[in-house]
Amino acid sequence: MTETTEAAAALGQEAIQPPARRGAGVLRFLRQQRLGTIGAVLIILMAIGAIAAPVLGTSDPEGFGVAPILEGPSSSHIFGTNREGRDVWSRVLYGGRVSLKIGLATVVVAALGGTALALIAGYLGGPVDFAFGRVADVLIAFPSILFALTLHASLRDELPNLGEVLAAEEFLLVVAICIVFTPVIFRIMRGNVLEQRAAIYVESARVIGASEVRIMWRHIFPNLVGLLLIVMSTTLPAAILTESALSFLGVGVQQGTPSWGADLSGSNRAYFVSAPWIAIFPGLALSVTVLAFNLFGDALRDTLDPRLRGQR
Amino acid sequence: MQAYIARRLIAVPFMLFGMSLLLFWLLFLRPGNAALTGFGLVSPDQNAQAIASLEEEFGLDKPFFVQYGKWAWNALQGDFGISLKNRRPVTPEIRSRLPVTAELGLLTVLLTAVIGLPVGIISAIRPGTFLDGLLRIVTISGISVPNFWVATLVITLPAIWWAWTPLWEYVRFEDDPINNLKIVIWPAVTLAIATAAYVARIVRSSMLETLYSDYVRTARAKGLRERAVVLRHVFRSSMIAVITVIGIQLGAVLGGSVIAEQIFGIPGLGLLVFESVVSIDYTVALAAIMVFAFMFTIVNLVVDVSYTFVDPRIRY
Repeated sequence: MTETTEAAAALGQEAIQPPARRGAGVLRFLRQQRLGTIGAVLIILMAIGAIAAPVLGTSDPEGFGVAPILEGPSSSHIFGTNREGRDVWSRVLYGGRVSLKIGLATVVVAALGGTALALIAGYLGGPVDFAFGRVADVLIAFPSILFALTLHASLRDELPNLGEVLAAEEFLLVVAICIVFTPVIFRIMRGNVLEQRAAIYVESARVIGASEVRIMWRHIFPNLVGLLLIVMSTTLPAAILTESALSFLGVGVQQGTPSWGADLSGSNRAYFVSAPWIAIFPGLALSVTVLAFNLFGDALRDTLDPRLRGQR
Repeated sequence: MQAYIARRLIAVPFMLFGMSLLLFWLLFLRPGNAALTGFGLVSPDQNAQAIASLEEEFGLDKPFFVQYGKWAWNALQGDFGISLKNRRPVTPEIRSRLPVTAELGLLTVLLTAVIGLPVGIISAIRPGTFLDGLLRIVTISGISVPNFWVATLVITLPAIWWAWTPLWEYVRFEDDPINNLKIVIWPAVTLAIATAAYVARIVRSSMLETLYSDYVRTARAKGLRERAVVLRHVFRSSMIAVITVIGIQLGAVLGGSVIAEQIFGIPGLGLLVFESVVSIDYTVALAAIMVFAFMFTIVNLVVDVSYTFVDPRIRY
């Protein structure tokens, strides 16, 4: 398995279909997209860090009295400790789990939902298209943070209990971020569906008697996959940023849960000047992660978007 | 084109209607007495009569559409009701906070354009050079760094290195313009980093698209100076992308103001939204968010209409 497909797997996406021969496309990606490769490597490292957090020399990120409080970086606590005596390195790794989990869940749901709605709207046209389009207009018209904040306020008392996999607060985050991103993805994909629907190959399929569902699924959808991958790769860092911003505002993960956004907020802020490491490392981890996804997404777009291919 | 503008203008009230209905529904989904309890106006064990009278005072005992209709009718006349928290009227509160956020937003968009446009142009006219590569990395980093971390560093690092912090005591622009700008500049810079980086990237890619088109070659061939070619021909035709992006970025600025105002203690609309949503002060939250959404809708309208002036090829 090559690095690109591994990165794609880390993204929770299907293996990328290289344009011509399998190995050749990936090799070309590695050769031409050096920044993208750096991004992919960083993503893999981050994913490993998040998945293998319990075995990477961490201590309980939510335990009390694990270590002396507010101790600077040292060999036993390389990122120092916070005001509860928790190891910042552990909290950063476990925070990556939250970001990755919520980011992936959001992107998968929003991308699939947005694309499905776009296929339906773009293909049926008429009143259905109009109705979907106006609902999307309304949802997009709210600045995303504001809307997520409102959703949170509205739904926080009626959270379902989902057990261990996704805490109730995390589920709420996923719902809020999905509602913010689905209409955006819907709008992008709908434009493309309309473009494809007018293409001759769709007409040909209809002429030979293919059913509408078959045309949508077997003919149009495969042509959307490239764009979908690009959209997913740009939505993922945006979703991670939104999660951390909401957690920063105190309406994200449950209090105490390690999260890069939450660890930069609230009562921690009083200690930033005396113990800058508790401000620097969570923010750095967040920034580097988002940067890695952006680098990779840029490279992916250069490689997959046929209109851009050959430029530069 | 006039027909297009008219169509867009007609759509605005419908958009606002849809947005307010959705918001109203979301915020009033929760039982009204939960909101009242949240403020200690009513304790849960208090008698039902006290709850009922408060519900009546705020109209919370009415059916949803009656409540919405009453709210919308009053809102159309500029009356957003009274705060659940302190029972003061909402409209004057909004009116006093709006200029604060508007100033922050305008300053941010100004910084965005002043930084983003030159960086994008420089990258585009020297593609593939070391400078271009460097700026590409800088701009992609710019869009990756979350604004609340930048704000945190702005507050923290200078305090450690030089014992310097931004001013904390907010003064209004009309009272003391100099000190006001000294305060507002920091949240504006914080927010402008990401938006400027975004604008620079869009300027670069849209200029590269046109830089190799036939009419640009013609312009060069007829002997125009490179400067004139770039600024008058290439840049102008990329303006459409730039305007779109600045318009979209204004939305990001409006959202970002919630975070920046909270960190820097700016008493604007963003802070009001945050405080009211967290403390479940529904009437205030509803009004403040609707004002935000209204501004955003108008900006988008202006952006779309301004296309036609920038790019004569576009005829709606």
